[in-house]
Formats: sequence, structure tokens, C-alpha cells
Amino acid sequence: MTSVNRKVPVRFDKVRKYFGSVRVLEEFTLNIAPGEFLVLLGASGSGKTTALRILSGLETATGGRVLIGDRDVTNILPKYRDISMVFQSYALYPHKTVAQNIGFPLKVRKINQAEMDAAIRDAAAQVQLDHLLERYPRELSGGQRQRVALARAIIRRPSVFLMDEPLSNLDAKLRGHMRAELKHMQQTLGITTMYVTHDQIEAMTLAHRVAILETGVLQQLATPAEIYNNPANLFVAQFIGSPPMNVVHGSLEGRRFQANGTSVETPVAGQIGKAILGVRPEDCTVVAPTKGVLKGTIYTTELIGDHTLVTVETGQDKLTVKAPKDFNGKHGDAIEVALATGRLFIFDAATGQRVR
Amino acid sequence: MSWHSFKFEKADRSLLERLFEPPAIGRMSPAATLLAYGLLIFWSAFVIFPIYWVVITAFKDAAAVNQGPYFIPFVDFQPNLDAWRVHLSADPYCDWYAIGRQFVLLVHNSLAFLLSPFVRIAPMEPQICKLYLAFTNSLVISIVSTALCISVGSMAAYALARVQYKPKFGNIIVFVILTLIVIVTTSYVGLPWYVTSAIALALFFFLARALGKRFTTSLGNNDILFWMISQRVLPPIVVMIPVYMMFQAVGLLDTHLALIIIYAVTNLPIVVWLMHDFFANLPMELEESAQLDGATRFGIFWEIVLPLTRPGLAATTLLTLILNWNEYLFAVFLSTAKAQTMPIMVAAKNAGEKGILWWEMCAIIVVMIIPVILMAILLTRFIARGVLLGAVKG
Amino acid sequence: MLRAEDNIQPGLSPAGLLTGESWTEWFDRHSRTFFIAPAVILILIFAIFPTFYSIVFALSRVKFSPTGLRFRFVWFQNFVAQFTGNEQAHFLGRLESMSILGWFVTLAVVAASLLWLHRSFRAGATWIGIIGRIISAALAIFMIWILSGTLLSGNPWGTLLTTLFYVVVGCSLQFVIGTALAFLCSQPIAGKNFFRVLFFIPLMITPLGVGYAFKMVLDITKGPFQPFWEFIGLRDWAWSTDAWAARWFIVLGDSWQWIPFIFICMLAALENVPRDHVEAAQVDGASNVQIFREIIWPQIVPVAATVILIRMIEAFKIVDLPNIMTSGGPGIATESMTLHSYFLWRANDMGSSAAVAYLLLILTVVVCSSFFNLVVRRQLGKAV
Repeated sequence: MTSVNRKVPVRFDKVRKYFGSVRVLEEFTLNIAPGEFLVLLGASGSGKTTALRILSGLETATGGRVLIGDRDVTNILPKYRDISMVFQSYALYPHKTVAQNIGFPLKVRKINQAEMDAAIRDAAAQVQLDHLLERYPRELSGGQRQRVALARAIIRRPSVFLMDEPLSNLDAKLRGHMRAELKHMQQTLGITTMYVTHDQIEAMTLAHRVAILETGVLQQLATPAEIYNNPANLFVAQFIGSPPMNVVHGSLEGRRFQANGTSVETPVAGQIGKAILGVRPEDCTVVAPTKGVLKGTIYTTELIGDHTLVTVETGQDKLTVKAPKDFNGKHGDAIEVALATGRLFIFDAATGQRVR
Repeated sequence: MSWHSFKFEKADRSLLERLFEPPAIGRMSPAATLLAYGLLIFWSAFVIFPIYWVVITAFKDAAAVNQGPYFIPFVDFQPNLDAWRVHLSADPYCDWYAIGRQFVLLVHNSLAFLLSPFVRIAPMEPQICKLYLAFTNSLVISIVSTALCISVGSMAAYALARVQYKPKFGNIIVFVILTLIVIVTTSYVGLPWYVTSAIALALFFFLARALGKRFTTSLGNNDILFWMISQRVLPPIVVMIPVYMMFQAVGLLDTHLALIIIYAVTNLPIVVWLMHDFFANLPMELEESAQLDGATRFGIFWEIVLPLTRPGLAATTLLTLILNWNEYLFAVFLSTAKAQTMPIMVAAKNAGEKGILWWEMCAIIVVMIIPVILMAILLTRFIARGVLLGAVKG
Repeated sequence: MLRAEDNIQPGLSPAGLLTGESWTEWFDRHSRTFFIAPAVILILIFAIFPTFYSIVFALSRVKFSPTGLRFRFVWFQNFVAQFTGNEQAHFLGRLESMSILGWFVTLAVVAASLLWLHRSFRAGATWIGIIGRIISAALAIFMIWILSGTLLSGNPWGTLLTTLFYVVVGCSLQFVIGTALAFLCSQPIAGKNFFRVLFFIPLMITPLGVGYAFKMVLDITKGPFQPFWEFIGLRDWAWSTDAWAARWFIVLGDSWQWIPFIFICMLAALENVPRDHVEAAQVDGASNVQIFREIIWPQIVPVAATVILIRMIEAFKIVDLPNIMTSGGPGIATESMTLHSYFLWRANDMGSSAAVAYLLLILTVVVCSSFFNLVVRRQLGKAV
């Protein structure tokens, strides 16, 4: 099928959504570029699914505007928005075969049978389902069901794809595989996509840009690399990265961060009574006493395979350090932790904002 | 291709589309709203009106009923308590001690029945006005019968959901043949029923022991379950005459016990059906862990399983209670005076030589439907939560 | 799983008690028996035994004597009396002359049934399935013969057709209205819970009360619609003077009572349809009608089939309403089979009463099991 290239931008303009007194989305503004793969990342209850459902038209915004292309769709029914959506549960109709499921969006538009059959075969081929067209959803595996849902979404070539945690019901191995398939498909079709997930790996691997949402407020919108290397605030810093970024509580005095009787030189300067030092596990090293900056004892060690995770207890904080796989420190050993000076982040403990 | 051009062309909607299309998901179009509320109000009126008419008729006198329709109390007729006087104050036995006396009578007559093989105690005659009598009878019969039915039925349902039974097909055939022999010998030969039944029962246990091992075909739990549930298909009229004869033979006609037992049996299929579904859907781990802790099977049932199915149990109980409260056909056959229930009393008002005394009848119907409406409101709570849907899905 | 140690049911002898086993242990060891025994015994004594005992009544002439009942075995006389159709034994109605239309319809149904049997035989059904289908087909042919001989030929009905009228017309009417109401209440309307409770209440009111209430409300001379009846010129008319009016009168009361049952079950089924499925269809551009036809309806059909089956089982037992509202009249026009049997019992003709009851049992079992095997099971099989 010839792909009709209609790359469309999407815009959320100060969208608010309240359920009674519960504020789910607050002044949510987001611009999605034409053809972009945007991932909306957040914990459960962060409002990410609500944002998606407002774009789909299944929920109505309390305030603000939603635009697809240059059309204001805030108060338009889903069927007039030219979108398609993959649900977390896949929402496959149990009484219809795979072919009937995939063809449903065309059937409701009364497309003639021959054209529909061709489109179904085409969409099914795209997700390698051609041999399963006569089966019922209950006879398929999880991954196959997922692909039926995808085929049903792509058959119509919509302006915008919406995906609501489409991979969360798959096992880990299949998830990795489907992630690659999804990314490839989005790139070939070039359709603007909004993808909701709570899984940071999905977000980092799939997205052109990631939007991180917490309690209905947009925290940061940037490319995956930018989010990892340059988090806007403590929440983003801790949400992204596995194991998460280490934090040390202390105070910032000029260019030095004071904690537990030691002081660390920082890339930024300021005077903050309660500050937080953030450092990623791979930017720390375990060194013999007196050679590092933070004193501590080994709390536990975990061999992951290609490296060992060492948890170090220092003052009131616990630091995770990525050590080589032959690390042989024991529980209770007194050691010190050295930090890569250029890769330290300082946050204001009161606001959580990054000190730049 | 044609569907590719499907864009926002319908975004600017005409007036007609605005009328017939919902403004957003989760709302209705103006036309649909009008139609929906119109139908709902019409149906509400259809549901309420007969009940309303019964209630106001209970407060009319003969004139207000017979001289053409009057609709609104205080406006086009003056409500009065004639009907209620007939039922309550006009009856010499109507006082507040009536309930107490009825209770004493119940205990006395139950004892008299239990001791009847040994001593002859004359049963007490009710010293209570008819409405009280019928009301307490209905109350006692439906509550006791429901308790019996629920306990027997839920135990059987639980056992069928958890234990494998394998009744031998041959034993069932033997039982059926023996039953037929008992029936034929008692009715045509004229032997006393207790002699034939005792012999047949002994013979059955002997044959089951002696031949049981030879029979290879056996049935499973599903067959037993189906057998129990399918009893609901049996029209009550089929068993009516024999049941009447059986209760006559043991002297239980016109007693609470007869109605209690027969109501319990009638509703047993419903209870087994609904409760089996609840039990089958319970996770097995809790029971297994209790079993490891050394609980007896009955202990597990009582302490763990029943509390877990409480909503289902409550809904089933309510349903059974309501069915018992409303039952008419068995009551007509099996009760004449002492065990008379409310429906019988309603029907009795039909027999007057002055035509139906509508106002008196309506007063009884009102007394009958008030508790039922309260129970129905409770029951819808459970149904709304989907408590009873599982069984319907098969 | 609480599984017995072996497949052999342990005997019920308290022999273990002699070897020092306590009562509770003994009770627990035999708990599998004690759990199910009460239910089985109750059903055996009060349902199975009377059902068998009824055969004796149906095959006998029963007389009262000072020493109790006296039975005289008369083979199938009681049944034959019902089938030969006179005013006393009005089971079939009067089959006097068959009209052309009657012949035509009968032959058409016979042909259709044979074709259906032939097809299922070729499709390779099991022998038990074939026997069941033959019984269903035979009953259908018999029914249509009766229907053609009475209704289509202008002869009076018997209680058999009257009962079927209540079952078929009543159930269909109630199903359509009940489902429509349920659909209405599954829409986003205000006061949903209020309507749910209100619409449910009639089911819970005693059938007796329903009968009298409708008799009163629709009374021509004293009822609330008296001005209306007078206006359309029905002053001296009564429901029980016209056979068709009387039948619809009873169906009306029956529907008032039973629509709530269909309503509440179908509402639960509708609300059980996954919200995702509806939303997916909405996003895919389906209209409300399409969503109902393509997504919702196929998913609630299994429940619908079961609900209709339950309703049918109860509908065959109808007795209170015809007894109260019309006393079976005019003539026998509204007499259901249960009422027929009840009237015979009141006339002390126990043999015929039992015979009619038995015919009702056979009718109910054949119709309900046909419906179950041919409709409900198929729908349940389709469901996930």
C-alpha cells in the first residue's frame, strides 16, 4: 500500500482535567511535532492516561484546548478525530475473528468487501499475522493478540496513534521484541504517535522525546539522552535510570557540598541550607579508605553479571555503586566512595529543583 | 483510497446532527435524552401506578371504592381506616400480647408434635386475630424455611464444588426400582407405607453393598449438580397431590413444618445453583492453608468459606426469603386454618358474598408488600454489584 | 483440593469409635457424606419420590374410602381422556375440522422438521443428540398440528396452547421490553440507581397481589380508567367476556411482574461488557447503533439465552394470575395447565389432575431441554 504521508502535529494547550475536587491534569501544555514518537512517562496516578484519553476524546477536558493539526478537537467525538488507539487490554472483540477485528474500523465506515479484504491482508502482513486471520482472539498468545491490536490501529492510517501501555501485559522477552517492532513500524509509517507508559526503558528506547508527568504536572520534556544526562529536577533524576540516582543529603556552601563531615566540590555555586547531591551509580567508585570523598561501610553486594552493585551506607543515606564484577568487598567493610566530579547534580531539597 | 480522505469533514455539524449526536463520550444527544427520560418516566408510572392504587384503596371505604374512581387522598376522597379496623381492632384477640401468645402456641404445638408418638397433647387453638396469625405464620415459615434451605443448599453446593463424588449408576437404578416397588405396594396392595419404606431402605443398603462393586459406570459432580438444579424445572403441581398425601400420612397437614420443608425443597435448586458458582470461584489456597493448619472440613466451611461468600450468601438469602414470603400454590394445598399464610388470607377476601371487599384485601396486600419492597431494595444493591451475574453466565 | 483418599466412598459405620476415635474425628472423616446428604435426602423424599408417586395417581382411578385412598389401575385412561377433547377434558381444545391454512402450515412444519433432522443426522450428531432432536421435532409437529387444528381453523383452544401462549408470547414480550429498559438504564442517565430499584420491585411482589392489583386497576366500572372505558363505549364490558382480551389481560399482569427479571439480568450483563471494547469501537469510528449491534449484543447473547431459559421454566408454572384475574374464563380460554390440574383436584378427580400435571412436566422438560441444547449451549460455546 502506498503510504500517504500526512504528518500531523498535536498540541495540548493548557489542558486541565478535574474529577470533582481531584485535579488530575493541571495546565498541561505539550507540543508534539509531526511524525514524532512522543512517550508520556509517569507513575500510576500521574495523569498520563488521562492526557491520552483527552486526546482520544474518551474524556472531555475541564479546560484548555486540544489540537490535532490545525483543528481544535476539544469538543469533538472520537470518531471525527481520525485517531486510532491501542488499549492496555488490547480490547479485542472476543466474538470476532482476527480478520474481523482488524477490519472493524473499515467495516463501520462501510468500505466495500474487496477493498477491506486487501487492507486487512496488508495490515496483517505488516505485523506478521497473515496465517492467523481466521482464529479467534482466545486462541492467540499474548504477543499475537498485541499484534492484532496493532494491526487494527494501523489499518486506517490515522493522523495520530495513541498507545496506552500496549506492552505491559507481555512477558519481559516478548516486550523487548515488540518494542523493536513498534519502533520500526512507527518509523516506516511516520505517523505522529503518543505513547503512554510507566516503564522507563520503553520510554528511553522508543521515544524521540519523553514527557515526564507527575501529579498532573509536566516535569520535563526532552530527548531521552537529555533527560538522562540533564534532569530538570530531583523527581526526573530519580525516576530515570536503573538503579536510580543516588542522593546524599547535606548543604551547599559556595562551590562545596557538605555532608557527614566531608565536603565535595560541585560544578555549581550557591548557598542552600538543605541541598541534595545527586550522582548516578556508574559515576561512583568504591575505593579504599582515605582515597575517596564519602566514608561508609558496605551494606550489601549483588552480582548482576557484567557488574556488581554495591550498596554503601554513609551517614543517613545509602549509595548504590556500580563496581566491576570481580569486586570482593564483604558486608561491613569500611570503604570510601569516589565521585566523578563533572557528573554531579545539586538539587534544592525544599523545591526539588535543580541548581544550575 | 477512499477512507484515507476521512478527515474532520464532519466536525462542523448540522443542526440535525447536533440533535441526534452526543456532544461527547459519556453524554447523550438532546434527542436521545428526551426519548430516554420520556420512556423512563412512562415506565416508572406503569410500575408505580398499580402499587399506588393498592395503597390508596387500603384507605378507602366501601363508598369510595364503589362510586367510581377516586385518585388522590384528601382531594377527591377522604381516606379512612375502615379496612384496618376490620383487621385489627374489630377482632377480639387483637392486642399487643397477641405476638407473645402466638409464640407460646408455636412452642406448645411443636412440642405436642414432637411428643405425639408417646403422649397425646391437645394442640392449642390460636387466640390471635387473623392478620397477626397470618403475618406471624408467614414470617416464621419463610425465615425458618430460608435458614434450612440456605444451610442445606450451601453445604451441598460447597461439597459439589470441592469434593469428587462418584455415585454408581447401578445403585441409582436399584434405588429407582425399589422406590417404584414401594409406591406400587403401598397404593395397590395396601401395605402401610412405613413398613414398605423401611424394608426398601434396608434392601437398598444391602444391595448397594453387595452389588455396588460390580457396577462400573459412575456419574460425576456435574451430573449431581445438574440433577439438583434441574429440579427447578419440575412444576410444583406435579408433586402436589403426593406431597399432600405424604403430609396427611404423618399428620403434618396445616402445620408450619410442612410448608417449611416443602418451601426449602422448592428453593433448593436456586440456592445450590447460585452458591455453587460462588464457591467454585473462591481461591483454593485459603482452604488448603487452613487444612494444613488442622481445621476440620466443616470448620473450613464455617470459618473461611462462608464469610468469603457473604455478599452472595446475603443475596441468595434475600431472594429465597422473598420467594417463600410470596408463595401461594403450596400454601393453598397444605394449610387450611392454623398455618394459614398471608397470600391465603388475601385470597380469602375474594370469597365474600358481597363481592370482593377490595379495601380489606388491599390492606393485607399492603402489609405483605412493605417488607418485600425493603428487601428488594437491599437485593438490588447486591445485583448492581454483579453478585448474581456469574451464575447466569452459565 | 479436598479430595477423598480414594474413589470408594467410605462406609458410614462408626467402627472407628471403638478404636478410640473421637466423635469430631469420625464426623470429619465422613464429612463428604454429611455435606451433601441433607440436600439429596430432601430432594429424594420431596421431589423425586412424589414425582414417581404421581405416576400411580395418573394411571389410576382414585377413590376416597374410610381407610384412606383406594387406587384402581386403569392404564392410560386419564391421559386418553385428556387427548380426546371434550368440555370437561379440555387439554387439547376441540379439533373438529382442519382448515386449508391449517393443513398448509402443518405440512410446512413437518417438512422443515424432517429436513432439519436429516441435516443434523448427516452432520454426524451423537445418537443421544439424534434421539433428543427426534423428540423435539415430534413435539414441534404435534404442537403445530394442535395450533393448526384450533387457532388456524377457528376451533377453541385447550389448556396446552394457552400455557404455550403464556410462555411464548409472554417471554418474547418480556424479553424485548426488559432488554430495551436495561439498555436505557445502561446509558449515562441521572438517577440510574433509583430507576434500577424502582423497575426491579414488581418482581418481588406476590403474584397474588399482582393479580388482584391488575384486576382492580383495569376494572371497567370501578377502576381508575373508568372514564376512559366509558368514553370508548365499553360500559358493560368485562375482560373475562372475550377470550383474546382475557389472555392479553393476563399477559399484561405477567409482564408487569416479570419484565423486571429480564431487566435486572440484562442490565447486569450490559454493565459487564468491558468498557475497553466499547471505547475501542468509539475510537474506531463506530456509531452507537453499530456499537450495540457489533460489540455489545454478541457479548450479551449468552446471558440472554440463559435468562430466557430461566424465564421459560418459571413461565410454564403460571397459575396465580389466571386463577385470580379471570378464574380461567371465559370458559377455559385463559386456563393454564397448572390451573387445569388444580381445578381437577378440586373436583376430586385426582387421576386426571395428576395426568395433566404429568403432561405439563413432559412439555416443560422437552421444551426447556430442547431450548437448552439447541440455543443456550450453542451460545455458551461461542462465548469466551
